[in-house]
Amino acid sequence: MSFQLLVNLLINGIVEGLIIALPALALTLVMGICKFPNASAGDTMTLGAYAALVLHAGGLPMFFVATLGAMVFSALVSWAAYRLIFSRITQAPMVASLLAAIGLAFVMRSVLALSVGPEARTFKLPLVRAWNFDGIRLLPTDLMIAAAALLAVVAVFCLLGLTDAGRKLRAVADNPDLARLSGIRSRRLMWLLWAVAGALAGLGGVLIGVKGVLTPEIGWEFVLPAFAAVILGGIGSPVGAVVGAVVMGIAQELSVPLVGPSYKLVVAFAVMVVVLLFRPAGLFGTAEKVR
Amino acid sequence: MDAYLVSIGIVVLIYALLAIGLNLQYGETGLINFGHVAFFAIGAYASALLSLKGVPLWLSFPAAAALAALAAVPLGMAALRLREDYLAIVTLGFSETTRLVIQQEEWLTRGVQGLPGVPALFASAGTGARNWLQLGALVCAVLLAVMATRLLQKSAFGRLLRAIRDNEPAVAALGKDPAGYKIRVFMLGAALAGIAGAFYAHFVTFITPEQFVPLVTFYVWMSIILGGVGSLRGALLGTLVLVVFLEGSRFLRDLVPGIAEAQMAHIRLGVVGLALILCMLYRPQGMFGKRVP
Repeated sequence: MSFQLLVNLLINGIVEGLIIALPALALTLVMGICKFPNASAGDTMTLGAYAALVLHAGGLPMFFVATLGAMVFSALVSWAAYRLIFSRITQAPMVASLLAAIGLAFVMRSVLALSVGPEARTFKLPLVRAWNFDGIRLLPTDLMIAAAALLAVVAVFCLLGLTDAGRKLRAVADNPDLARLSGIRSRRLMWLLWAVAGALAGLGGVLIGVKGVLTPEIGWEFVLPAFAAVILGGIGSPVGAVVGAVVMGIAQELSVPLVGPSYKLVVAFAVMVVVLLFRPAGLFGTAEKVR
Repeated sequence: MDAYLVSIGIVVLIYALLAIGLNLQYGETGLINFGHVAFFAIGAYASALLSLKGVPLWLSFPAAAALAALAAVPLGMAALRLREDYLAIVTLGFSETTRLVIQQEEWLTRGVQGLPGVPALFASAGTGARNWLQLGALVCAVLLAVMATRLLQKSAFGRLLRAIRDNEPAVAALGKDPAGYKIRVFMLGAALAGIAGAFYAHFVTFITPEQFVPLVTFYVWMSIILGGVGSLRGALLGTLVLVVFLEGSRFLRDLVPGIAEAQMAHIRLGVVGLALILCMLYRPQGMFGKRVP
């Protein structure tokens, strides 16, 4: 493998990883607080991406109107999912939420596929030429994607670390009973959590579409790498999710010359199993062992 | 018409085997296996490939079960010592991984083109008699599986499984190793799915990776939830309801013109998804459920 190829793969991996970071962050936030893996996050991404596609085709500029519109849309979808489904079964065993999330994912994908058809779609964006430094190619689009993803990640960290709502969220994640006893009203907080998770997923979907092509299944294909990133980073750790996602993106890209592009998902799965076998806590988390 | 009913009966019984396996894992022990279809696929491909190489079916069936059970071991080791939702994620990932590998390793599985000409079970009998014989064999297999499950439920092992499901720390406190028991149950359920896969492969005689999408896993979940978690009778009844729904959707397509098969597949996906959500919201204990969560 030549040096240029390696660097190109690395760059691609980082960009891909930053995209994965968005759903991974959404997953880890919800998992840390609601205690179940929200498998419908992937299809929320797809819905967001197609919403942007519609807005963009309607003549709105991609940056920032269509993208923001898509984020608002997916935030609303996610919030509605919480209000109508997940908030009603918080007392039931975890598996109920898990199955409902899978069901919701199926419903979203089915409705989407029936309304837009199975063909792959792309955003009609002006073509830009890659900058070429001695064979190391850098696409301006990729830079934009990375910047957008980083901006969203920083915004979420600011929300968590600097605002009152963020402090309350962390308190609920840490110990829900103690948080309630301390007078934290969790209803609005949960709405905020699900809306933020939805917006993150929506942005992730839009960026996937900007980088590649969109199909009704695309979000589902990204949800497993996102789960792997969450586990790699340690469940419930936002920093871990982002770092895990970038590592995941790089690992997937570097594997391409070795095993081919179709095995990206298998690489994600392999990383997940290896982490669980040898360091179940992940990089930044604490494992919840069953005793 | 007879032939049609017989083949529906075969499909019901294959799903019943899958449901019995999942009921053992989830209903009895509380293992959340979201990758049941992977073991089904492993069983189907293992038995099909072996028999295409000339291995007799009485050998390829046990091989299918053994391979599926073996595949469960590393997954169980990775996930079963941890919080219960890890297994859900890992098995879901495993089922997609398995499908991708089957799709990509064309030298072995012919990839998306699928494996045609898998020898049928009881091929030496005529076409009509063959399906009756297969139905009979499946009835025997399901009865055996039901009896084995009943025996297991009554045994000390079965009591321990329910104890793990209901209060795992207590079991651990008694000096038992819950993870070890869970891996064994996980393997048993996987073996049943493997046998179901072998029956499937030698019934349809043409298998492709597309037949083993995650949706199949949730068909089985749907049927054990409809029937009531932890109830064997319920699981079998739920299976019947499920297959009637699947077959019914085929008739619907004949009645309503202009629905392509791809669209019908998406409609089925949506209906199963909606049913899962509604069940979780309004009737988590199913039709015959005894355990109210």
